[in-house]
Amino acid sequence: MNERKWRIPSQIIRLFQAVGRASLLYDIQDSHSGNMALKHRDKKGREQLIITASGSQKGDLEPQHLCALSPNKTDFGYYKASSETDIHSRILNLKGINASLHAHTKDLVIATLDPERKPNHPAPFIPADPLGYQALGIIPVDWFRVPSGSPEMIQKIPQRLKDHSATVIQGHGVMTRARTLQEAFFLACVANNSGYIFRLLEKHGVEIEPLRKKIVSDSYSCFSFPAPYTLQDDHSCDFSHEEELVKEFQKTGARIFESRLSPFHTGSFSLRGVKTMFYAPKASMPRELGGPLLEKSLEKKNSDGYEEKIHKEIYSQSNFQTAMHCYIPEAEVLTHISPPGTNSPPDRLVPVDAEGSFFYLVIPILSSPPEMDSFLQLLHDYKVVIVRGGGVWAVGEQSLSEVLHHPSSVREICLYRLGARERGLDLGKMEPAKAKKW
Amino acid sequence: MPSEYGFYGTLLEINLTEGKINQKKLTPDLIENYLGGRGLATRILYENIDPSCDPLGEHNVLVIATSPLLKTKAPTACRGHMVFKSPLTGMLGSSNCGGTWASRLKSTGYDALMIKGKASQPVQVDIQREKTEIRPAAEVWGKDVHQTTDILSSQKNSSPSPGILTIGPAGENLCLYSAVMNDKNRAYGRSGPGAVFGSKNLKAITVTGKMSPPLKDKERFQSGLDQALYMMKAAPITKRLLRELGTSGLLKLIHLMDMLPHQNFQDNLHNMKELDKISGETLRESILERVGACYGCPVACQTHTRVGEKKGEGPEYETLVMIGPNCGIYNLKAVALANYRCNELGLDTISLGGTLACAMELYEKGILDKKTTGGIPLNFGNESLLPRLVDLIAYRKAFGEKLAEGSFRLASDFHHPELSMTIKKMEIPAYDPRSSFTQALGYMTSPTGACHLRGGYAVSLAFFGGTKEIPRFSIQQSPLAIRNMQNLGIIQDSLGICRFTGFAFSTEPWARMMSGATGMDFSTSQLQKISHRIASMERAFNLQAGLKEEDDCLPDRFSHESIGVEGKDKLISPELIQRMRRDYYQSRGWSPKGKLSTLIRADLQLNKRYT
Repeated sequence: MNERKWRIPSQIIRLFQAVGRASLLYDIQDSHSGNMALKHRDKKGREQLIITASGSQKGDLEPQHLCALSPNKTDFGYYKASSETDIHSRILNLKGINASLHAHTKDLVIATLDPERKPNHPAPFIPADPLGYQALGIIPVDWFRVPSGSPEMIQKIPQRLKDHSATVIQGHGVMTRARTLQEAFFLACVANNSGYIFRLLEKHGVEIEPLRKKIVSDSYSCFSFPAPYTLQDDHSCDFSHEEELVKEFQKTGARIFESRLSPFHTGSFSLRGVKTMFYAPKASMPRELGGPLLEKSLEKKNSDGYEEKIHKEIYSQSNFQTAMHCYIPEAEVLTHISPPGTNSPPDRLVPVDAEGSFFYLVIPILSSPPEMDSFLQLLHDYKVVIVRGGGVWAVGEQSLSEVLHHPSSVREICLYRLGARERGLDLGKMEPAKAKKW
Repeated sequence: MPSEYGFYGTLLEINLTEGKINQKKLTPDLIENYLGGRGLATRILYENIDPSCDPLGEHNVLVIATSPLLKTKAPTACRGHMVFKSPLTGMLGSSNCGGTWASRLKSTGYDALMIKGKASQPVQVDIQREKTEIRPAAEVWGKDVHQTTDILSSQKNSSPSPGILTIGPAGENLCLYSAVMNDKNRAYGRSGPGAVFGSKNLKAITVTGKMSPPLKDKERFQSGLDQALYMMKAAPITKRLLRELGTSGLLKLIHLMDMLPHQNFQDNLHNMKELDKISGETLRESILERVGACYGCPVACQTHTRVGEKKGEGPEYETLVMIGPNCGIYNLKAVALANYRCNELGLDTISLGGTLACAMELYEKGILDKKTTGGIPLNFGNESLLPRLVDLIAYRKAFGEKLAEGSFRLASDFHHPELSMTIKKMEIPAYDPRSSFTQALGYMTSPTGACHLRGGYAVSLAFFGGTKEIPRFSIQQSPLAIRNMQNLGIIQDSLGICRFTGFAFSTEPWARMMSGATGMDFSTSQLQKISHRIASMERAFNLQAGLKEEDDCLPDRFSHESIGVEGKDKLISPELIQRMRRDYYQSRGWSPKGKLSTLIRADLQLNKRYT
């Protein structure tokens, strides 16, 4: 490697810095943990492996914390590169794979711990939430005697990632591979989200295996709004002339991500005009990573994705100006917890906190896939609806700020309800009497 | 008389030409389709008027309607709505008012009142449950609003005391922006209803009664009421700000947003020290005696003030700015005294301020001179002129004859219509449209001409809308944002409730209260549909009255003379006007020229007669 090769293009530096900061914000890294790698061709067409330096702080990456290596032979860059470089290198040799990411996805790690004597073959992790299953499928879990950069990991992990987009190193973290670094980060976030949902379901005594079986046997019947991850220019904007609205979109997307209303690049939100809507198909978007900001005709087209169709359907049948879809993990968990004194899944979420129960006496819960007429009617009447397995949908009369308020409140309402349940409080007594009739 | 839940199903029709009084049945589907207040009144008007009639002629019709929420505990539900053909604009006149009169009208057992024809001599109408009479009004004709109210009150020694709706000399003299007043100082102000009363020789309407229709579902009503009250107690604007500062508390905020007009909207430049002299805070500290409230209103935004020995109400924000800075005047007491006098004489203070500002600009540009003004030096900032000018206008004396016609006719008469800051010949209120695309579009598309209330109050969306705040210069968002604000206003006017409740909550509690009151099922989506219908009903009236696409426009000044907003020069270009107007029409389902589609005409059932 010559010195010139260390000059990593500034857009790649910014990308690593952005993903690093976002991983720290989403709490899937600690100060020095994890690493990420990207396949890159320089101007002369030479392939490079760009990877974070060993011991670098992912939340504060400087240009010198990125190493540009030869992908297939040792050069001096390996002095500095991550101790897991060889694993990444092999992963990046997989067909169609350009990026890999290792993160300390703590919820997923906890969800995949087992008490068995080692060595053993841990059970794979099957997400109990349709979003996780749809994005990741079954996630293998492996125990390694030396769980960091070891030869057995170098051999095993790339093998796992041939057939799976993520794999868990038991007690350590996740490794994901993808077409882009953003996608690899998306997979890590969704995987951790699944781990979080699993933990909450387990804590609240929900039978998880039947849920998993149902999802595995027919995930689409459990999942209302499938949205496969798409590769788009995350900094593209069709409405840059609307400066104020661009800022609003960026602010809203950042808030969804930072407030954990939806894992990275999941969900969607929009603001309608008369003929078109401004549309963010990857709602949860940290400022520096962004997401595409599109202008879409309000006319319904056969080519519309399912998610986009819902936005158009909402607008065609209402005066609402804004709509939002988020995957709030706590809300998904509560859709599986039977109300006090019953065995059936709930059809409403009843807030037990003061402000929540004032703003929302109840929040309707629909099963997947919801019947469109009743879904729209409930949105009209309640402004926010939870779909079991399909996230939280909300609408606003005027602004993005207004529609954002609903999922934000829903998450808080869910946290209080779950917290009260964890403390063993009698929720039946805490729910307003009126809410039972609604 | 059929008694329904929340309403009586009865319209009182008074024909002044024939001296006849009739009761007409209103069917429940009229409430289901038009709610009450503005919607109900507009539908009744449409069925009973030729929109091309002479607004000051015998064939103009005036309808005042209440809503099913009046005489309930619904907060602020005291407002009546009056519609007619406006002598100022030649379009729909539509005016809303608080106070107590509308609630008292409902106490007589009628949901709405329709006035037709023209009396041969000045009359007053006395409405009671048992008997309605048309009486000579010779004793009060020529008296001002306060005198008339005192005389009529003393004549009726009844319990409960009567509600009195009256015009002052401005209405009698057919000033085109004269108001109809109740509780002395509460005005059906805009569009010139006072002149319509005057043209019919109708001085006053007194109402006395004790009736109150029952609620169908008290529990449902109560759930909406509880939420509404809670929200009003929680929101600073409704719980404290309006009570402590009145609407004049807006002054500095609007200035900070670069939206406060100056000298006939020539710019938005003010000296903060000058503004301090007339701010809401100064009003509170200098002339406020006490606050007051309309019937059933927990907000209590009325400012009862005193200047020397003279007592009165106000000034409200609009009055303060239109007679104040927009005329180059920064003297609170001068504006307050002019406001008192407008209330006594029955004048709309917004159009008065706009007309004076236009005259001042004409004068300073040399288009008017002392010869034409009868020796009055109409310079900006000449506050000493105010008392005299207000009287000249109300009595149409000397140059007041010209000023009483409003700024459009005044400026046109002197060959400079471009100096009239009007839309559909109605004066623009105290928010510069260059500071918000949304507000500009609201003024343009208001069914009554430039009105911040009928046109949609975009200011709150831009500056104190809480989570609903929107960017003020978005071409994408403005058409729908203002349409939705207009719809909210239509719902509020039709339910007889105050705009200020919108600072605390939207329509959900009202849907529940309305459902509880009537037993009909009003969802929020249904309220939205009804508001669309009412907007199209108003459009239907205006189109038949001769409205054209180009009437939905701004004065040229706003397209060619920029002002600074947040450090940038701002204009509303003709292209932008056209684009936003077309988008707005489309959002209403109207044609690109602003005509009603077949679908909408079918929904309106224009040939059907409810009355």
